[in-house]
Amino acid sequence: MISRVADHCFWLGRYLERAEHTARVLHVTTTLSLDAELSPEQTWAPIVIVFGEREPFYKKHGEGAGGDGEVVQAYMTWDEDNWSSVVRSVAAARENARSIRDVVSLEVWEITNELYLYMTAGEGRQQYNDNRWTFYRTVRKACELCLGFTQSTMLHESPLDFIWLGVELERAGQTARNLDVHHHAFTTLPNKHEVVETALWLSLLRSCSGFEPFMKRHRGAVTGRSVASFLLHEPTFPRSVRHAVEKAYDRLSSIRPPEQLHLPGGRSLERLAMLSAYLVEESPVLLGEDRVHDIVTHVVDETTVVGNELAQDLFGYGR
Amino acid sequence: MAELVDVALPSTMVTAESEKTGLFAPYEIPPGAFDEWIDASGAPRPAVKKAFETLGAMPPSELAHVQLLAERTLLNQGVTFSVYSDNRGTEKIFPFCVLPRVVSAADWEILDRGLCQRVRALGLFLDDVYGPGRIFREGKMPADLVLASKQRNPLFHGVKPCGGVRIHIAGVDLIRDGDGTFRVLEDNLRTPSGVSYVLENRLISKRVLPRMVEEARIQRVDLYPAKLAETLARVSPVDPEKTTSVVLTPGPYNSAYFEHTFLARTMGIELVVPDDLFVDGDCVYVRTTRGPRRVHVIYRRIDEAFLDPEVFRRDSLLGVRGLFRAYKAGNVTIANALGNGVADDKAVYPFVPEMIRFYLSEEPILAQVPTYVCARESDKKYVLEHLEELVVKAVDEAGGYGMLMGPTSTAEEREEFGRRIAAEPRKYIAQPRIELSTCPTWDDAGRRIVSRRVDLRPYILTGPDGPWVLPGGLTRVALREGSYVVNSSQGGGSKDTWVQKP
Repeated sequence: MISRVADHCFWLGRYLERAEHTARVLHVTTTLSLDAELSPEQTWAPIVIVFGEREPFYKKHGEGAGGDGEVVQAYMTWDEDNWSSVVRSVAAARENARSIRDVVSLEVWEITNELYLYMTAGEGRQQYNDNRWTFYRTVRKACELCLGFTQSTMLHESPLDFIWLGVELERAGQTARNLDVHHHAFTTLPNKHEVVETALWLSLLRSCSGFEPFMKRHRGAVTGRSVASFLLHEPTFPRSVRHAVEKAYDRLSSIRPPEQLHLPGGRSLERLAMLSAYLVEESPVLLGEDRVHDIVTHVVDETTVVGNELAQDLFGYGR
Repeated sequence: MAELVDVALPSTMVTAESEKTGLFAPYEIPPGAFDEWIDASGAPRPAVKKAFETLGAMPPSELAHVQLLAERTLLNQGVTFSVYSDNRGTEKIFPFCVLPRVVSAADWEILDRGLCQRVRALGLFLDDVYGPGRIFREGKMPADLVLASKQRNPLFHGVKPCGGVRIHIAGVDLIRDGDGTFRVLEDNLRTPSGVSYVLENRLISKRVLPRMVEEARIQRVDLYPAKLAETLARVSPVDPEKTTSVVLTPGPYNSAYFEHTFLARTMGIELVVPDDLFVDGDCVYVRTTRGPRRVHVIYRRIDEAFLDPEVFRRDSLLGVRGLFRAYKAGNVTIANALGNGVADDKAVYPFVPEMIRFYLSEEPILAQVPTYVCARESDKKYVLEHLEELVVKAVDEAGGYGMLMGPTSTAEEREEFGRRIAAEPRKYIAQPRIELSTCPTWDDAGRRIVSRRVDLRPYILTGPDGPWVLPGGLTRVALREGSYVVNSSQGGGSKDTWVQKP
C-alpha cells in the first residue's frame, strides 16, 4: 500500500474519531451544566484543558472565558484556528478522504462530504443556534455512520486497518486525557458532597459513552477509583484505554505481521505490545488515586511516540 | 496544404412540423447549421426516430423531472471538476443535458476508420520527428515549423518508448459543418481529459431514460477502463502479467482530479502523486508501507514540463527526479509518451492530411478545417488582409484563450492582432469560422427543447496492435443561445453520445 495513502487513511480515522469525541464531550457537558451544582468555571474550563487548548484559548478570549459555556462551545465547535474544533476536524477528515477517493468506498466519501457541507454551508450553523442538542447529535451520528460504513463497505485489508489504527490511537489518547483532567478536577474539589461527586463521575462516563457499560460492570458505589479503573482497564469496553491500545496492536499486526521482521513498522508494534502489557499489569485493585495521573501520562506519551514512529516508518515522512 | 473551402452558408429557417412534435413544437435551427436530430424538412433523422417519438409524447413536466433527477445524481456522487479561483479547491458540477447526441452507425463507421487512420499517421510522424526526419528531407513539410515549436525538446531525439507506442490515448475534437460533414478541429495527443464524463453520462442516461436507451440499440462505453488498463499493460517494459501500472495525478486540487480517481478506481490500479514515486538505478519505485515497489507503467495526467525537475523545469518542486533517465533507459513506460506536443501543435495541424498521404499512402478519410499558417509568407499576407472574416488562434494556447474572433471583433482588437502576427508569425494560425451543428437541448427556464451548438471528442486508444476507438465520446454543448463556446469553463455542458450499433 502506498505510504501517502496509508497516511491519509490513518488521519481520516483520527479526525472522524476526534470530531465525534469533541461533539460528544460538548454534548454531555451542556447536560451536566444544567445540574447547577458546579460553577460554570468548573464545568467548562476542563474541556479546553482536555483538548490541550488552555493557552491559545485564554489568550484569545481572556481570563474569565473558561466559565462561559457559550464561548467554550463556540471555540471548540467553530474556531478554524483550533485544530481540535469540530469544524476543523471535519474539514480535515474530508480533505483526507478526498485525497484517497479511489481507496475509500463511495458511502464513506459521501457521508464525510455531506457532514462537511453540513458544517460549512450554513445548515449546521443554523441548527447549532436553534437546537444545540440536535446539532451535536447530528455530528456524532454522521461520524459514527461513516466509521460504520468503513467496516461494511470496504475491503478488510490494509486501508481499513490504517483507518482504524488511527481511530484506536485517537481513542486511547482522548479517553486518557479526559480521565486525567476530570479526575484531577474532581478529586481536588473543595467541599465535596457525595451526591455531587457521583453526578460528576457519571458525567465523565457519559462523555466517554461509558455510562451504561459501566453500570453493567459495577454495582454499588460510583467512586473515582471505580470509574478511573473502568476507563483505563475494562477489557470489554471499546473506549477504555486498554481496549483501544489492544485493538491498535491488532490493526498494526495485520498491517505488519510480528513475524515479518524485514518489514518496516516493527518498533511501533513492539511499543504497543509493551503498553498493552503495562496496562494489564497496573492492576485495577492496586489503583491508588495518585497513580491515575502517572498511568495516563505514560499512555499519552507512548501513543504520541507511536504516532511519530508510524509517520517515519510507514507514512514516508522519514525519507 | 489543405485546400481552402468557401464556407459561406445558406440562411434558412427550419421548423419541425411533424404531427407528433409535442415538446419539439417550436424547434428552431439557426440558419446554416446542421441539426443532429432534425433534417431540413423538419422530420427527425432515421437514427433518432424512436427517441424523437418517445420524447415528443412526453409532457414538459416529465422531461424537467428527468433532467432534475440526472443533476441530483451527479451532485450526490460528487462528479465534479475543481475551479482554481480560490485556494480551497471549490468544486463544480459539469452541467449535463439528458437529451442525447446520436451518431448513426453509418456515420460512425467513417469516423472510426478516419480516426484510426489519423492517429496512426500522427504516431508515425512523431517517430519520424524524433528519428530520421524523412518528411522534412523529402520536402513534404517545412522543418523549421517543428524545430521552432515550443513543444520540441532536443532531449527526446532518439528516445524510443517501450512497446513502440507514443499516442496511447488520443482525444480528437470534431465539429460538423453546415453540410453535416465531420471535420477535425484539433488533436489532443498529450493528456486528453473528459472520458470519465462519457462513462458517467451513460450511467445517468440508463438510470433516467431506460426505455429510450433500450430502444435506441446503442454501443456500450463501459469497457473503456478495461481496454485502457490492457493497453497500458501491453506496452510495459516487463511481462504484462507482472506489470504494476499507476495513474499519476498532480493531486486533489487539479481540475480533473475527479477523473483521475475515476480512472484509477475503474481500472483497479493505484493513484499516485509525484511524491509517492522515486527513481533508483534508473528504475521507478512507489513508496509503500512495505517498502519500495517497482512501477512499470505510468499513466500520467501531469504536463510533461512538471514531470522531472532534473531535465525540465529545474525550479519546479513538482515531479519525480530522475524519471526521464528511467524512461530513456526503457525501464518505465510513460503514457502518453514525452514530446507528443509537436504533433498536436496548431501550426502542424494543417499538415496532417499530408502526413497521412506520406506515411500511409492513403487519402485522408476525415476532413479538417482549412487553415492559414502565418509562418508562411503568402498565408500571413492573406490573414492580415482578411482579419475580419477569420478566427485567429495562438498556436500554444488552449481553452479558448489567445483568440481573435474576426467577425465579432472590434477594429482595435484587429489592429492589435495584426501587430502581433506581424511580429511573431510562427505563433499564429487562422481559420474561417465554421458553423457548428446543433442538437436538441433541454431549456429549463423555458421548459422546452431548444437547439444548441455541439462538438464531439472521441477517444482513441493505441496499443502495439494499433488503434481502437471508443464507440461514443464526449459531446460538449454551448448552453447559451447563439454561443459557439463549448468549454466547461465558459458556459459549456455535456451530453451523452449514443453511437448506434451497426
